[in-house]
Amino acid sequence: MSEVAQPASLALAVSRPQTAPFDWRRAVPLLLAAPLLLYMLVFYALPVVAMLLRSVNDPSWTLSHYATLFDDVVFQKTFWITFNTSVTVTLGCLILGYPVAMGLVRAKAMAPFILVIILLPFWTSVLVRSYAWMVLLGRHGLVNEALLALGMIDRPIRILNTPLATQIAMIHILLPYMILPIANALRQIDPSLIRAASGLGSTPFMTFRQIILPLSMSGVAAGTLLTFVLALGFYITPAMVGGPRDITLSMLIAQQVDQLNWAYAATLSAVLLATALAILAVARKLPGVGNAFRTSMR
Amino acid sequence: MSKKTIGRRATLGLMGAGLVASPFIRPSYGQAAWPEQTTVPDILKGSGEIRIATFGGTMQETQQKAYFEPFEKITGIKVRAFPGSDPTKIKAMVDTGNVEWDLAQLSRGSIMNLQKRGDYFEKIDYDIVDPGVEKQFRFEYGLEMLVWAQVLAYRTDAFKGAVPSGWADFWDTRKFPGDRALYGTNSGGWPEMEFALMAAGVPPDKLYPLDVDKALASYAKIKKDVFKWWDTGAVPIQLLTDREVTMTSVWNGRMAALQAAGVPAAISWNQGLSKRDAWGIPKGAKNKVNAMKFVAYSTMAIPQARVCLGIPYGSVNAKSNEYIPAERLAVLPSAPEIAKQLVPYNYDWWIENRETVIPKFNKWLLS
Repeated sequence: MSEVAQPASLALAVSRPQTAPFDWRRAVPLLLAAPLLLYMLVFYALPVVAMLLRSVNDPSWTLSHYATLFDDVVFQKTFWITFNTSVTVTLGCLILGYPVAMGLVRAKAMAPFILVIILLPFWTSVLVRSYAWMVLLGRHGLVNEALLALGMIDRPIRILNTPLATQIAMIHILLPYMILPIANALRQIDPSLIRAASGLGSTPFMTFRQIILPLSMSGVAAGTLLTFVLALGFYITPAMVGGPRDITLSMLIAQQVDQLNWAYAATLSAVLLATALAILAVARKLPGVGNAFRTSMR
Repeated sequence: MSKKTIGRRATLGLMGAGLVASPFIRPSYGQAAWPEQTTVPDILKGSGEIRIATFGGTMQETQQKAYFEPFEKITGIKVRAFPGSDPTKIKAMVDTGNVEWDLAQLSRGSIMNLQKRGDYFEKIDYDIVDPGVEKQFRFEYGLEMLVWAQVLAYRTDAFKGAVPSGWADFWDTRKFPGDRALYGTNSGGWPEMEFALMAAGVPPDKLYPLDVDKALASYAKIKKDVFKWWDTGAVPIQLLTDREVTMTSVWNGRMAALQAAGVPAAISWNQGLSKRDAWGIPKGAKNKVNAMKFVAYSTMAIPQARVCLGIPYGSVNAKSNEYIPAERLAVLPSAPEIAKQLVPYNYDWWIENRETVIPKFNKWLLS
């Protein structure tokens, strides 16, 4: 819609004489957005800044909390676990999500049905989903009972409360964030390109490798970034279904808040935020990914 | 045992049994037999309101009937209760001068820990507190008002009739096979170093000051069998129900609901930790006078006994036991037979040491 409206308003703006004192038409969108911007400034930006300031001015101006990070083995291990989990989960989402995105784009009558299945996790509370995983993955849960019945194992294996359970549950939650941007990119590929390729004797695999995959990379990049950055902040899922050592950075932050070490909690939050921003900044510079940002903006 | 006790046992036996089986209040037979506080000293009467932060859930439901409603009726002060009491919120409220609670349910540990960092609580006015409240529950900035226990719980169907007793048995996975769960540090909790030390043979009366290195060495022996370091009271209950573990530490009040649901699980009280919740009045609370009156009222013998009848936790008032049927008393952590098996939790030691102990524990856990 905006693609139609924008050129028109631009044309109007350009056609107006430069001497016009104040162009209220151009100010309207800004004025309409002002309440939200103000709201975000007062209730989001300011509290975040105030919180982050705690990491350098509590009890007085100091960088000592950041210096602590270098000696804090718990932080370093937790950071590594968090990063590692995010990478694994993102890869899992990519491997599982890409074929689903292709199926979604190619499906005709079934497309709305597939979309509902993909979006279902969005509409369920994280708590409910974690409890559902407990029922499935538990020592006497559905998966173990099925494996036992099939004779594939002779006694229940431990799946729940392991890093694997965390990864499975997180992949389930994050899959829509991977599938939708990829499907969006796939949908924009001109079908005549694929017909032309097969007309010229390309095998389906070659068509995929040389046309579909490169042209969908913007979606892959957007989905990967989104999934990864979201995975960095996970808290409830690892706490509920994870193993004894599945301590993520957000859990460590909550722990520090509870223990009234608010300055250090702010420091850890700043690290988490900086990590996410750094990944986004680096990704924007990569060829093809910058494009993804523009695509997802549309 | 006197004739009087037997007489009461005969008349209240049925009711007591009912309450043992169910942690929830059944107005049909339970509440009718609750004792009533019919008079209070005039100094406790007043007007206006009081805003109380609680830990919510069935605990708050019990508090509502045990002392919020009767307090309103007898003193004329209106009670507004909110779930979600939390020392970090009190810090934020007092820091910003926007104190929304007049009274909060906390622990001596969290009150003293906050008080160490500034002036966050009002002093308790012990002139109006009931003399029956034992000395050990009184401190300058709060008054303990609920006795509970962190104890060993196990699946009764797991060990072919063998009954674990104490932490050495918990640590013995050959005699008592199966996975374990213990309390961790994820939600600001303090690890159960006491249990690790008792498992290593430290006598219960020689625990404090805790030997942290010895505790960690003891923990190391069971680390591979502990597949969940739980952080909220619901978790060990779920693990026992789903047969994920054969033994875990639990908060005793949660076990009654589990047993009522028919799960074959039991508490082994021996070497459990006796802990307490406490009332604290946030500094600058608008209705602090009313809060003080409520603190005094709710720790009187009858209001305390009413809590014990609603939820299986113990009283801080020595005279409460007169109002609790013997069958009910037998399942409370304040029952003489049980209390002597428990180790009093030393909040003072933890307040002094937790800043070094918890990072040490976390480091050990991740190593």
